[in-house]
Amino acid sequence: MTNALIAAIPLAIVASTPLLLAVLGELVVERAGMINLGIEGMMLTAAMTAVVTAQLTHSVVLGFLGGIIGAAAVGALFGLFALRFAADQIVTGTAIVLLAQGLTGFVYRELQLFNQPVPRLEIDPIVPLAWIAIPIALALLLWRTRFGLRLRACGELPAAVTANGASVAVHRWTALAIESVLTGIAGAYLSLALSSGFAENMVAGRGFIALSIVIFGRWKFKGALLGTAVFGIAAAAQYAMQAGGHGVPFHLLLAVPYVVTLLILCGIAGRVRAPESLGKT
Amino acid sequence: MSRLFRRLRPPTPDSRLPRIAIAIGAALLSLVLLALSGIAFGHAPGELLSILISGSVGSKFALEGTLLKSVPLLLTGLSVAIAFRAGVWNIGGEGQFLAGALGAFLGARYGMAAALAASLIAGALWASIATAMRLWRNAPEVLTTILLNFIAIHLLGYAVNGPLQEASGKYPQSDVVAASLPAIGSSELHAGIVIAVVAAIGAWFLLYRTAEGLRLRASGFNRSAAKWAGVNVDAQLVRAMAISGSMAGLAGGIELLGVTHRLFERFAAGYGYAGIAVALLAQLHPLGTLASAFFFGALTTGAGELQRTAGISSTVATFGQAIVILAMIALTRRRNA
Repeated sequence: MTNALIAAIPLAIVASTPLLLAVLGELVVERAGMINLGIEGMMLTAAMTAVVTAQLTHSVVLGFLGGIIGAAAVGALFGLFALRFAADQIVTGTAIVLLAQGLTGFVYRELQLFNQPVPRLEIDPIVPLAWIAIPIALALLLWRTRFGLRLRACGELPAAVTANGASVAVHRWTALAIESVLTGIAGAYLSLALSSGFAENMVAGRGFIALSIVIFGRWKFKGALLGTAVFGIAAAAQYAMQAGGHGVPFHLLLAVPYVVTLLILCGIAGRVRAPESLGKT
Repeated sequence: MSRLFRRLRPPTPDSRLPRIAIAIGAALLSLVLLALSGIAFGHAPGELLSILISGSVGSKFALEGTLLKSVPLLLTGLSVAIAFRAGVWNIGGEGQFLAGALGAFLGARYGMAAALAASLIAGALWASIATAMRLWRNAPEVLTTILLNFIAIHLLGYAVNGPLQEASGKYPQSDVVAASLPAIGSSELHAGIVIAVVAAIGAWFLLYRTAEGLRLRASGFNRSAAKWAGVNVDAQLVRAMAISGSMAGLAGGIELLGVTHRLFERFAAGYGYAGIAVALLAQLHPLGTLASAFFFGALTTGAGELQRTAGISSTVATFGQAIVILAMIALTRRRNA
């Protein structure tokens, strides 16, 4: 059992890479005072646009670029409503998830190219980028630069940013742009690296789990890495148990990560301090 | 304080027209965008819309299908409308719908009344888990209700693959439920439609004609003002969530007892999330949900027909829901600004 678990760790790290990218993106956005439920929809759209671009250009790299553009389009829609219209972010986010599910389901049936084999990622630079380079770069950006200080201030006391002569909107749009790039890569990684093509609803709740991990990690990058690792290893353990053990009901095992997230939310939600202006319009 | 309460009165008749106009505008916009997406992939927009209309309200059979689909949408829409009115972010309609269906299945062996009561209670209890976590551990219900959706989906998956699987053990589904709602006349319709309409009128009466409803809306309108006016806002949270959950649970129970008669893995089919679109199109008014549930029922039924006859994915109904939500946000915002 222990050996099987240790053997599963490298796989778990690879498999939870899209989740980590989504967590990192959502962390930046939440630090800027927004809560974006729509990341589920951003990843789903990116997974589809990545496959379409990769098929049309026969290039994986351009496929990833296509994923980023897809996620950015959805992210811009969220920004339009949440920032420009000052709409409720929870309702907007839910609508964006529905929009992405509806649209990708529709397009999936219309285009023949989803039936053809898709170019896949041969060498994988994404895993080390996601687990080492990007978290360090983002942490330096948020905690070691004036821009990062202001971005975090947008999450705590936006009025202070305005009083300082800086624009809250600019910082929040930048946070959304960072999230779009990260969720775009995440979606593309799902469809071009982890699986061979697009499938309906293939994001399967990762966006919602990412939201929980941000809380679990107490809005810090170290916490985000740790939380994602815990989730990834738990998911891998679940598959290992499923393959090895008999009599453990598979469907109950599938519910375990969600129960754990609930317990995490309850266990620490009283002690964590969220960005003061999170989700306020 | 009296000024606050005056603002919470139901809208005066003259203010209703623009509200209805906004809703109709949003609904039409979703149809226009649907037609435009059809054009983008080479479908004739006229044909697309005519299939959508004839497939939803064009014949007795189609209309019955639309009404059948409207019933769960009406109840999940009410669920969301009540919660949002009370300022509670219940995004867990999907899970409460499943909890209600499971409750109804178990209660059905004691008769129809027991089945319906069990669906109400199961939905309320499932929602109340989120309430408890909010009150005791300050866990945001937005996240807990979403997580409870996933847990309910997997619990149902476990049930229909394990303890509740049909006796023959052939498919991951339950046996036929022990009770079923009586049909109306010789139609496909069942008594659940009457229950749903009564629930909508009841919810309207509760929210707009009782002191309890006023307190509920006051808590949602301005939590701290309501608190200072002597409303126990935590108790309102508990009640709103329980009522909201019971409506979604009832939706699941009625769907089981009136339409599917069996439980299976993909039982919820997005009714919980669709409830958000229903409630917003109705501008969170219980009586408005009657019309908006009918609209989305027609959209869902018409989309099914599109998939059968034109090969267009029925997920266009989900697309329509999203457009309506976004359009309602944009249109009501601009009016307030």
